[in-house]
Amino acid sequence: MSEDKTEKKPEIVGFACSFCTFKASEMAGSLRLKYPDGVKLIQVPCSSRVDPAFLLKAIFEGADGVFVAGCHPGDCHFIKGNFYTRRKMAALKEMLDVFGMKDRAKLFWVSAAEARRFVEKVTGMYNEIKERKNARKEN
Amino acid sequence: MKTGIFICHCGHNIKHTVDVKRLSAYFRKISGVTVSEDYAFVCSEPGQDLIKESIEKYDLNRVVVASCTPGLHGELFKDVLRKSNLNPFLLRRVSIREHCSWVGDDIEENTEKARRLILSALYGASHYVPLEEKIVDVTKSALIIGGGVSGLSAASFLSTMGMHVYLVEKEAELGGHVRNLKNVWPIGQDGSVIVANMVKDLESSENVEIFTSTTIESFGGFFGNYEAMLKTPAGETKIIVGGVVAAIGFSPFDPRLKPELNYGKDERIVTTLEFEQNKDVLALPEKPRIAILHCVGSRDEQIGKAYCSRVCCINALRVGDAIKDKYKDSYVESFYMDVRAHPKGGEEFYEDIQEKGVLFTRSNIAEIIPTPKGLIVRGEDTLFGEPFEREFDLAVLSIGMSSPEDSKLIASLLKITLDKDKFFLEAHIKLRPFDTAVKGILIAGSCSGPKDVEESINHGRASALKLYAFLNLGYAIVDPFISSVDPKRCSGCRMCETACVANAIKFDEVKRVVHVEEAACMGCGLCNATCPSSAISLRGYVDSIIDDEISALTEAIQSQ
Repeated sequence: MSEDKTEKKPEIVGFACSFCTFKASEMAGSLRLKYPDGVKLIQVPCSSRVDPAFLLKAIFEGADGVFVAGCHPGDCHFIKGNFYTRRKMAALKEMLDVFGMKDRAKLFWVSAAEARRFVEKVTGMYNEIKERKNARKEN
Repeated sequence: MKTGIFICHCGHNIKHTVDVKRLSAYFRKISGVTVSEDYAFVCSEPGQDLIKESIEKYDLNRVVVASCTPGLHGELFKDVLRKSNLNPFLLRRVSIREHCSWVGDDIEENTEKARRLILSALYGASHYVPLEEKIVDVTKSALIIGGGVSGLSAASFLSTMGMHVYLVEKEAELGGHVRNLKNVWPIGQDGSVIVANMVKDLESSENVEIFTSTTIESFGGFFGNYEAMLKTPAGETKIIVGGVVAAIGFSPFDPRLKPELNYGKDERIVTTLEFEQNKDVLALPEKPRIAILHCVGSRDEQIGKAYCSRVCCINALRVGDAIKDKYKDSYVESFYMDVRAHPKGGEEFYEDIQEKGVLFTRSNIAEIIPTPKGLIVRGEDTLFGEPFEREFDLAVLSIGMSSPEDSKLIASLLKITLDKDKFFLEAHIKLRPFDTAVKGILIAGSCSGPKDVEESINHGRASALKLYAFLNLGYAIVDPFISSVDPKRCSGCRMCETACVANAIKFDEVKRVVHVEEAACMGCGLCNATCPSSAISLRGYVDSIIDDEISALTEAIQSQ
């Protein structure tokens, strides 16, 4: 990836459900799709395993962005785990909004077949955050 | 902590864009790491020996293998640990191929990403504890969904092997699409005869229960003991099965989705299926002019079907063959993009047809215009780059295969995944083509992508064999990643009890704390994330593991 070396590069920590998004990310690798190296995944059995505290921890330890990615609504391997995730993320975003950090956390639905969607989503989030990180320089 | 780190080159796959030598040297200096090696293929016999020898020599108590994705070779490395008398759950796999070397090009960036991923695994693994694998009994019976040729061949294999088989078909008759084929290529046999032979075997075996005109109302449970509620004409029946073969076939492409072809508006425009059924009664002149259109509903991004349906080229060739046999002086022109006569003998068949006088025009068809005199086929000859317009008496559309109409419904019942074309997704297209992401649920036939009759029968048999191998053991080893409660921390708020989908959490009225029913726990970890007192932990994914993984991933960010 030809990036300007003086640019600040975001670091993103993602929590990926092992039944869908982690599989999609495996497939993205097999298809040799490219996405920024700043995106790093932690595998969880279900998106519902993700305690919002993990996301806060990652943000407070310096991650520029965090995301949780799970199966599309209705497709959860554990039947309704992702509905809990959705509610928790909504609550967390409201809290982060108070600190002006609403955009730091995202929730994606990516099925096991959607390698391209996975790459689009993480690259989109990466570029969004990168733009914000480097906004001052552009002025 | 005595950790051994083994970094795989995967030939050139990882080495090419990750500096593996630098990584192994770096980890040698990290505290808690006893051995750090890089090797050409860690999964090879010498690679496995390297791990085994290191465990024995240095008395390792954690093993981190940085290589391909954990889904591949998972059991292989676990076995290496078992053979070295180390608990297999003290193994940690890190994907530095699918998640690192293959998705980035810059060697510096990739090496840094790999370093952090391995570091995160190292920290996470330091919290691992030896776990015991759970053994559950399995029911030696199978549910086959779909009574087409792949379902029938799966059922007949399993019943011969002594499994109890429940065969469910939503239609009133077994046999699927093959039942209606008059001439199955290349043997020329009537499809209904093939089906009748298969059904005869099944009907005479005692351990097969056939349910026609039956749908599946609900589905639940786990590998070894799935529960399905069948809605039969006689009422509802509950069955318990060890595993499932989903063989729901395909839906023929509906050419009405391509309105420019005017299918359905003129009886002179027919599909290959209709041609086959009615070819003897078609009213054609003595010297008929016939157009055959390939790739109707295949390789067409405009209608969202970019894939090749694999069977329709042979079907189109067969139409030409049948017409030339009946009408020597006919004019038959095939409009194709590429002829993919891939099955055994297909290419020879293609040449025979050309010798019989069927013309092949590489073209894109724009439209078919019905006129009282004849059908006008308009298109572009893609070899000459010229538009053309020709008149025919009959147009045969070689329709492709679309995903089965029930694929979404069955996928959501079985909790399996669909691919972008709404066919069932395999666990791994090359290494595990019959498995889904859910253990004990297999797929067979054209519901995982277009297949011909022979392939579907073979696919059914192969899936059945795979399922038989799972079930015949009589037991299943289940990953012990289930939740457990620390009663000292439990406040008895019962929030986890409400959240648990599996009803695995039970409240003890006397002690006023909850406990987890291990057999029912599915291991999603929702209770762990829900508990306000941090009293529940999901084994293998306890808070401390994930906390340290996060810290490792973000550590370098702070130091920047």
